[in-house]
Amino acid sequence: MKKQKAVVAAALWLATGIAGAAETAAPVCLIAGWENPPSVCAAHTKSIAATCFICHGPNGKSSAAIPGLAGQDKAYLIAAMKEYREGKRESTVMKKYALGYDDSEYESLAEFFAAIK
Amino acid sequence: MTLHRRDFLKYAGAGLAASLLAKPAFSATGGQPHVVVVGAGFGGATCAKYLRIWDPNIQVTLIEPNDKFYSCPMSNWVLGGLRTMDDLIKSYDHLPGYGIKMVRDSAIGVDTDQRVVATQNGGKIAYDRLVLAPGVEFMTDLIEGYDAAEAAGKVTHGYKAGPQIVLLRKQLEAMPDGGVFVIASPPPPGRCVSGPYERASLVAHYFKQHKPKSKIIMLDGHFAVVSKGPMFKAAWKKFYPGMIDHRPYNLVTKVDHASMVVTSEFEDVKADVINIIPKQRAGAICGQAGVRADTAGVWCPVNGVTYESPKVPFVHVLGDSVASNMPKSAHVSNNQAKICAAALVELFNGREPDPYPVIGSTSYSATSDHTSGPIAVVMRYNPDKEAYIRQPGGGASLESDEVNFEYNKAWFEHIWADTLG
Ligand SMILES: Cc1cc2nc3c(=O)[nH]c(=O)nc-3n(C[C@H](O)[C@H](O)[C@H](O)COP(=O)(O)OP(=O)(O)OC[C@H]3O[C@@H](n4cnc5c(N)ncnc54)[C@H](O)[C@@H]3O)c2cc1C
Ligand code: HEC
Repeated sequence: MKKQKAVVAAALWLATGIAGAAETAAPVCLIAGWENPPSVCAAHTKSIAATCFICHGPNGKSSAAIPGLAGQDKAYLIAAMKEYREGKRESTVMKKYALGYDDSEYESLAEFFAAIK
Repeated sequence: MTLHRRDFLKYAGAGLAASLLAKPAFSATGGQPHVVVVGAGFGGATCAKYLRIWDPNIQVTLIEPNDKFYSCPMSNWVLGGLRTMDDLIKSYDHLPGYGIKMVRDSAIGVDTDQRVVATQNGGKIAYDRLVLAPGVEFMTDLIEGYDAAEAAGKVTHGYKAGPQIVLLRKQLEAMPDGGVFVIASPPPPGRCVSGPYERASLVAHYFKQHKPKSKIIMLDGHFAVVSKGPMFKAAWKKFYPGMIDHRPYNLVTKVDHASMVVTSEFEDVKADVINIIPKQRAGAICGQAGVRADTAGVWCPVNGVTYESPKVPFVHVLGDSVASNMPKSAHVSNNQAKICAAALVELFNGREPDPYPVIGSTSYSATSDHTSGPIAVVMRYNPDKEAYIRQPGGGASLESDEVNFEYNKAWFEHIWADTLG
């Protein structure tokens, strides 16, 4: 329901964007299907990535048995999350975590961790 | 077109309305915004650290009476002889490196109108925002004889790390083979619901090696092994058959340390070593600040986006003290701390905080010296319902194993590093 609303809104935005080209449309991003200004999405990404630190180490830098995420290839990270969600990759906890986030969050999380040197 | 926008002020509460008016200074004192954090546990230390990492313009003062950090996670491992006390004690020395001002003192009162915290040593510390993360306080008066028994050194709760764990371990070591160890636990909500079952498992591990004729009787205020039930039951059967006697619906009401008898609503049990975990409420400072505002006056309701008290503006609450459907764990406290810190950064900078925060909730429990198992649940804040909603697919492992024992150890190392390192 909500998701649809947002998708429709996004489509409208695209349409008006094309029609009235000069209008400086505020950029939007989606969280859980809702439209938001980019600053909110940035805050959301920072905050959800930090939930992963508890197990994967601060900034995704591991010093123990749970693998690190920092500096991993972005596409690899996205693929791993999808495989966990679909049960195609063996896991103890990651399937349960992957099910709690959506594709756009996989993408922003992967980008976040891939960028850490 | 109209963008879908959430009501910014709704999340921000009265505190934001005021700080927006004060724009661009954002600070009551006219300078950089000042956040005072009470309690350097998993909630408070994490919040202080991430405030400084995410916005070095924010001044942070962290009030904590202890000179070192005592970890409750892993304390059951010490009781079971898997680790020593030294492994639980961590240093606060890295925190000042983030620009956090550490004050070794206790908060004893809050003037929420003037926005000033009073400390034990006579300090008066002004704040723009106050974060209370004092953990729990035990309601010992609900158990007749508890205070006297604790003062006599005969009964422990062992639910704050430090001297309580040292004493309980000594008592277990001194107990003769064939003795009875009683663990009494309260019904939820309370700190670490799986803790008593992990404790029973690891003490059983110790007894099995050193005093195999001994027994553990669990007087459980709840109706069952409520957390990771199948996992614990399977491990008890496999590793410690006949040793752990779990008695549900058995809330303890009285203890007599002269006769070493524990009394529940249903029975008297004679014990050699007594561990009673009383019911809890939000730390005392939450009472003093007027934020223990749930119907029972025990826990602190918060706004799920900012963790600000809906009752008292500019006062935020984190960790075990929060009234919510989230488990009271170190993992959740660390997680809430980051959501609160991120929200404060956005608010001080005049931006909207993330209206859709997400909490990951995991706790690992060990069942022996080589097996553990996790629970993993994701909870997402729903602004319409104003609540964190448990996402489908989460839950507890049905079994404990070696792989999870390794991950459990990694979890300890990483949460300590993330909170204090
Ligand atoms: C046996 C046991 C095992 C556990 N195992 C796990 C586990 O494996 N995983 C997990 O996630 N959780 C575990 N927990 C739960 C975890 O310890 C708590 O949920 C967590 O500590 C709560 O964090 P907090 O910040 O709310 O409080 P705390 O970590 O207790 O920190 C509160 C701090 O505030 C300070 N303080 C209190 N009042 C004041 C005041 N007035 N002024 C200044 N400072 C003050 C205290 O000294 C303390 O340092 C366990 C708990 C127990 C008892
Ligand atoms: C409770 C601890 C825990 C939390 C929290 C956690 N993970 Fe994991 N993660 C693990 C474990 C353990 C593994 C190994 C696979 C398994 O057993 O589930 C893993 C594996 C992974 C992998 C595969 C790594 C590789 O090298 O192949 C990715 C990617 C990953 N996690 C991403 C995340 C992200 C993103 C988050 C935050 C949203 C997160 N994890 C939160 C424990 C955790």
